[in-house]
Amino acid sequence: MVGPEDAGACSGRNPKLPPVPAPEHAGLDGKMIRATGGFGGGVGSVEPPEEEEEEEEEEMPPPQELLRRYLAADGGQLEPGLCYCPLPAGQPRFQPPLAAPRSDASPPDAGSRHRGEEAADARAARHGGMTNGDSGFLPGQDCRDLEEARRLARAGGREPRHHRLRLEESADEDADGAGSPSDWAAPLEDPLRSCCLAAADADEPEGEGSGSGGSPASDGRGSEFSEPPGAGARGPAEGASPVTSAERTSGGEGAKQQLGFSDVHSNSRNTFEVSHRKSARDHLPPAGPPVPSPAAEQGPAGTSARARRSGGFADFFARNLFPKRTKELKSVVHSAPGWKLFGKVPPRENLQKTSKIIQQEYEARTGRACKPPPQSSRRKNFEFEPLSTTALILEDRPSNLPAKSVEEALRHRQEYDEMVAEAKKREIKEAHKRKKIMKERFKQEENIASAMVIWINEILPNWEVMHSTRRVRELWWQGLPPSVRGKVWSLAVGNELNITPELYEIFLSRAKERWKSFSETSSENDIEGVSVADREASLELIKLDISRTFPSLYIFQKGGPYHDVLHSILGAYTCYRPDVGYVQGMSFIAAVLILNLEEADAFIAFANLLNKPCQLAFFRVDHSMMLKYFATFEVFFEENLSKLFLHFKSYSLTPDIYLIDWIFTLYSKSLPLDLACRVWDVFCRDGEEFLFRTGLGILRLYEDILLQMDFIHIAQFLTKLPEDITSEKLFSCIAAIQMQNSTKKWTQVFASVMKDIKEGEKNNSPALKS
Amino acid sequence: MAETYDFLFKFLVIGSAGTGKSCLLHQFIENKFKQDSNHTIGVEFGSRVVNVGGKTVKLQIWDTAGQERFRSVTRSYYRGAAGALLVYDITSRETYNSLAAWLTDARTLASPNIVVILCGNKKDLDPEREVTFLEASRFAQENELMFLETSALTGENVEEAFLKCARTILNKIDSGELDPERMGSGIQYGDASLRQLRQPRSAQAVAPQPCGC
Repeated sequence: MVGPEDAGACSGRNPKLPPVPAPEHAGLDGKMIRATGGFGGGVGSVEPPEEEEEEEEEEMPPPQELLRRYLAADGGQLEPGLCYCPLPAGQPRFQPPLAAPRSDASPPDAGSRHRGEEAADARAARHGGMTNGDSGFLPGQDCRDLEEARRLARAGGREPRHHRLRLEESADEDADGAGSPSDWAAPLEDPLRSCCLAAADADEPEGEGSGSGGSPASDGRGSEFSEPPGAGARGPAEGASPVTSAERTSGGEGAKQQLGFSDVHSNSRNTFEVSHRKSARDHLPPAGPPVPSPAAEQGPAGTSARARRSGGFADFFARNLFPKRTKELKSVVHSAPGWKLFGKVPPRENLQKTSKIIQQEYEARTGRACKPPPQSSRRKNFEFEPLSTTALILEDRPSNLPAKSVEEALRHRQEYDEMVAEAKKREIKEAHKRKKIMKERFKQEENIASAMVIWINEILPNWEVMHSTRRVRELWWQGLPPSVRGKVWSLAVGNELNITPELYEIFLSRAKERWKSFSETSSENDIEGVSVADREASLELIKLDISRTFPSLYIFQKGGPYHDVLHSILGAYTCYRPDVGYVQGMSFIAAVLILNLEEADAFIAFANLLNKPCQLAFFRVDHSMMLKYFATFEVFFEENLSKLFLHFKSYSLTPDIYLIDWIFTLYSKSLPLDLACRVWDVFCRDGEEFLFRTGLGILRLYEDILLQMDFIHIAQFLTKLPEDITSEKLFSCIAAIQMQNSTKKWTQVFASVMKDIKEGEKNNSPALKS
Repeated sequence: MAETYDFLFKFLVIGSAGTGKSCLLHQFIENKFKQDSNHTIGVEFGSRVVNVGGKTVKLQIWDTAGQERFRSVTRSYYRGAAGALLVYDITSRETYNSLAAWLTDARTLASPNIVVILCGNKKDLDPEREVTFLEASRFAQENELMFLETSALTGENVEEAFLKCARTILNKIDSGELDPERMGSGIQYGDASLRQLRQPRSAQAVAPQPCGC
C-alpha cells in the first residue's frame, strides 16, 4: 500500500504528462479544495517558482481528506470507479489481480485497502491517478463533463447543499429510518445504473425516484454521463467490473482504453465536486475560506431532510453509487438459510476475507509485499448501532424439520443474545480504534501539508545554505512531501557528472539506433550464436525486465504510460556507461525516479546515483567490494543486534543473501513503494550508510520472529518481506540503530575493513562466506 | 517448527534470465502461476516437504538470478547443492545455448555428482518453439541429465521435475553412490547450514539408516 510518498511520486509528474489537460485538472482540484475549505493560509501564501504544481499539491489534502472520510463514512462501500481509479500509482502494492475473484464485497474491500494508513494516502491516491499516466490520456471530455455538471447544477437552481459525504450519510439515515435498508436503495439503483449505461435510459423516471422530480439537472446528467459509453458501463453501477476493467485498461493498450478509465474517475469526481460545491456555498461564509472541518462529522447533522427535499443530482448520484453495494450485500445475507452470523459484520469479515484472498492471490502472483490495510478506514456510525446485530438473525428450524424443543429454543435465544452482545462490544471497540486511527492519519496529513510549505518556501529556495542544517535534516527524516520529493532527490544526488538534458538526448538517440539495428538484424542473429553478452548489450534484457518492473502497477509494462520512458532511460544509460551496462535491479531504480521526476531529470539523477561508490560497486558486480560492504554491515549488525547476529552466524546465513536485493534496488523491490521512497529520502540525506542502516532496521523490526526461525525460513522471510510493514515501525527501528562502532562511524569502519581485507588478500583469497 | 522430514536437500534453480526459474519455483510451492513476476536479484528461496518413495524430503530451493552479470554472485550459492533444475526457455535458443556454461558451473561449484534435471520451460508456448524436444533430449543424454519439458504456466511437469530430481538423489543415497554424511563431497545430507545439522548428532545418524529400502 502506498502512502503519501507515492503520491508524491506522482504529483511531481502531473505537469509533464503528455497529451494532457493536466493543468485543468489541477485547476479543478484547486477549486475543490477551496470549496472544501482547505488549508486556508498556507494555500494562499504559496506562490512562486514551480508553483502551479506545488500549489495544487498543497491544496490537495483537504479534498482528499474529504474523499477519504466520505469513503469511510460509506462504510467501505465504495463506488468502485472512485475507489479504484485515483489509485493506481498511489497503490502500487495493491493491484488486485485481474483474475482475482471479486465477490460483491471485494470492491469495498479494495477501497479500504486503498485507503492506506499512510498519512497522505488519499492524496497518494489522487495523484496516483494522474501519475499513472491516466491523466495523460484524459480526454477533454472529462473536464467538459465536470464543467457541464457544474453548469447544470447551477442552472438547476436548486439549492445545493451537501457534500456527497453528507448525502451518503443522510442516505444511511434514511435507510435506517425507513426500516428496510434495501427498499430505499432499490428504486434508485437500476435506473441509475441504466442511466450510466446508456443515454437512452436517462429520461427514465429515476430522477424522480431521488426526489428531484425530474429536474433538468438530472436529465442532463443522465445523458451527460452516458456520453462515454465505456465509462458508464463500468461506472458506479457495477461493483466488480469497473475495477477489473480499469485494471485491464491501465495494464493494457493505451490511450483509448485509458480514456474510458479516466472517465470513470471523472464521473465520480464530478459528483463529488458538484455536491461539494453546493455544500460549500451553503455552509460557508461567502468569501471566506471554507472551513476545514471534518465533513464526516458534519454529515449527520440534520441535513438529511434537506438533502431529501432538494434531491438534486448529487443526491441522485450519491444514492446511486452506494446504496447499491449495501443492497447487494444484504440480499446475499438474506438469501442464506438458517443462521446468519453477523450478516452485516461480514462487511467487515467478508472484507477481511476477500482482502486476504486477494492478497494471497496477489502474493502468490507477485511474490511481493502487498501491505494489507492494517486497519480499514471505513467508518460507520457504529457508536449508534452496531450493525452486526441487525444482521444476525435467529430463525426457527425449517418447517420440514422437527421444531426445536423449548429448552433448545431458549438456549439458542440465549446464545443468540450473547453473540449479539459480543458483536456489539467488538464493533464498538473497533469503531473507537478506527476513529483514533483516522485522527492520527489526519494529523499526519496536516503535518505533511505544513512540511510542504516549509520545503517549498524556505528550504528549496535556499538549498545550499539550509540543506545541512539540523532543522532541515530533522524535517527530512520525517519524509519528504511527495510534491518536493523529486526536486530534493535531484538536489541531494547532485550532478557531478554534469549531464545535461541534451546529453541525455544524444545517448537516447544512440540507444535507439542500436536498438533499431538490432531489431533489424536480430532475426538472423537470433538463430545462431548470439552470446549472452550480446543479448544483454542488445537491450533485449532491458525489454524483458521492464515488463517485470513493478508489474502490479501496470504502468511500465508494454502499452503502459511509462514503458517507453523507462526503456529510454535504461537504454540511454547503457550507451552512456557501456562499462556498467544494464544490470538487473536498475529498472527498479529508474522506475522510482521516473515516478518522481521528468524524464531528463530522472536520467540525470539515475546516472549520478549509480555513480556513487556503493552503487558502482554493486552494479559492476564487483564482488570483492561487495564483500567489503557486507563485512562493514556485519560490524554494525553485531554491534546493534548481537543476539540475532549470532543466530544468523550459527546458520552461516550471510548478509549477501538478503542484502543484495535490498541494495541493488534500494529497497524499491522489497519494501512497499511508499516506504521505499521514504528510505530513499533519507538515503539522499545520509548516503550509502543509510541503506545498510535500513537493513539493520528491518532486522531489528523482525528480530523476535527471526530468532525463532531456521535458515530457510529466515532466508525466505528476508527475501520476501511481510507486506504489512509500516513506515512508523520501520523508521523507529531504523532510528534505534546506532551507526557507530565504538567511536567509529560507517565510513571509518568501511575504510578499516578495506584495509583488513587487503591485508587478508595477501594471505588467502576471500570468498563469500555462504 | 514442527516439520519432520527424513532428508533435506538443497536444490538450485539455475539458467538464463527470463526462462521462468522463479515461476517454476512458485508453481511448485504454491501451485499457481506467478503472474506479476519480478526478476530475481541475487537469490530467492522456497521450501517444500515432499514425499518421495516413502521418505519425507524437505527441499530447500535456491532460486538464483539469471543475468550473466550476477553469476559471480550466484556461484557462491552452489556449494553443497544436491540437486539442480537447469532451466532454459524452449522459445529462446539463446537460453538453450548457454546451458553448457550453467552446467559447468553447477558441476564444478556444487559437486560433480550433483543431480541435474534439464527443464525446457514454457512448454505451453509450443508455436513459438525454437528448441525441439529431440535436440534437447540429446543434449541431456550427452551430459547425463534428466530431461523434462515443463510449463510454469499450466503446471505441467513442474512437480515432476522436482520430484524426479529428489527421487534420483534418494536412489543414489540408497545405492551408496552418495553419502549424506560425508561433508565436502559436494552432495550432502541436507545443507551444512541447516537445522538438521544443528540437531543432536543422533538425529543425523538416524537419517541415513532408513535408506535400506
